[in-house]
Amino acid sequence: MSLSQKMAGSPVHLVSDRGPVSDRDRFCDQLIAVLPRLRRFARGLTGSAVEADDLVQAACERALARRHQFQEGTRFDSWMFRIVQTIWIDQIRARDVRKEDGDVAEERLGSDEPVRRVEARLSLDEVRRAVDRLPRDQRTALLLVTVDGLSYKEAAEVARVPVGTIMSRLARARIALQQHLAAGGGMLGSKKDAQAQ
Amino acid sequence: MHKRSDDRLVAYLDGELEVAERREIEAWLASDATAREKFAALAESTNLVRAAFDEIIHEPVPDRLIAAARGESVSSEPVGRVLPFRRRQATEAASTSRPWRVGLPVAACLLGLLLGGNAAYFGVAKLALNGSGKSPAVAAAAADNLWLDNAAGYFKLVASAGDGALIDVAPTDDPREALQKISQNLPQAVRLPDLKPWGLKFRGARLVVADGRPAAQLVYTTDNKAIGPLTLLIGSSKEPDISPTLARRQEVNLLYWRHQGRAYALVGQSDIGYLWGIANDVAWQLDAI
Repeated sequence: MSLSQKMAGSPVHLVSDRGPVSDRDRFCDQLIAVLPRLRRFARGLTGSAVEADDLVQAACERALARRHQFQEGTRFDSWMFRIVQTIWIDQIRARDVRKEDGDVAEERLGSDEPVRRVEARLSLDEVRRAVDRLPRDQRTALLLVTVDGLSYKEAAEVARVPVGTIMSRLARARIALQQHLAAGGGMLGSKKDAQAQ
Repeated sequence: MHKRSDDRLVAYLDGELEVAERREIEAWLASDATAREKFAALAESTNLVRAAFDEIIHEPVPDRLIAAARGESVSSEPVGRVLPFRRRQATEAASTSRPWRVGLPVAACLLGLLLGGNAAYFGVAKLALNGSGKSPAVAAAAADNLWLDNAAGYFKLVASAGDGALIDVAPTDDPREALQKISQNLPQAVRLPDLKPWGLKFRGARLVVADGRPAAQLVYTTDNKAIGPLTLLIGSSKEPDISPTLARRQEVNLLYWRHQGRAYALVGQSDIGYLWGIANDVAWQLDAI
């Protein structure tokens, strides 16, 4: 369990030598503490460092504006993940994406350069690209559970879907990813080849 | 009997199944080589995904995001400001330009340490707490306060000393040697986290007293002014584990936590975002989570 995962279970407290800390200060500190994880989540969603930081910035602004909506005693990180995801979906809709995610994924898969397949090397960048090729819903489930360590129940609350849906999305994502990494000549494929030799 | 599906296999990998379901999956894996192969591949790809996104956690958080989280006006700079490494200039001008130079407050801090730290070392503070009839919660809070005050004070001593830092054990070619010497005076051996990826260089270690107990203060410095010098205080504690907690003392930021009888405090004047990322790295390296 990473420190971030451990931090997720309890709110970050602030002790100050300048007298009582205001609710707003405490809220801001919680927000700052969760920023690295929000960036990681956003990077996984958008596939772009710049877009991810723009997304996190927008989420911070929205969170501060709606601070009163956060319920004490609930998980702050989950609340922020939900805001990030909501803004991201809004942005996608605003861009008037014409194709369904599945089509986009197919198209992207089809555009893979043959050279990359032949290279039989899969760097971590390529793993991220493989994640980026997953349909949006599967990608979100994967990021929340596999990368950020949320339970299925917590991920379901963030994504606002039943637990069973998270479970099936995760399974599809993991199987697709594993097949892609193996068939695409990635680390898994390379390892298998090496073992076969 | 549940269906032997990919869903279940993945849920088993994620530790999301009940005991009865887990046993079913384990029996399946024990009897089916293809399922075992699939499971191994899934586990490996899962680790790859985690590794692929893990490095993002260790990146410095851009200033604009920290400003946004504070509700401050956001600079137009599009990316994080990480100052380039520069050769240390051993000039008076360079010395006085250090943002972490604290000047007079150090005198107060020194006095506080002499009174608070040494008194605590001889058990006076402990006795006072225990004999005062205060509740355990109040006593624990007081102990936390003392620990934090000591941690902040010791940091300021090191930061104000600059290149002439008060180092008990300087790093040799093998920095672990310094730790071994310090560890001889501690109930538990202390390991050295490698913070080079953050541009932080280990400068040495000091044996100090925090909350009445000996502790190791590891000193790191960097030319990166966005981070500045950092100290990591590692001591023992009989208090229960606590999650990472942010604190601010004597104009210094602290991130402290306790894990399995040890107390940790990462102290510096860098933004909380940096501190959090570095603490995450430290906790990971020291198995202190």
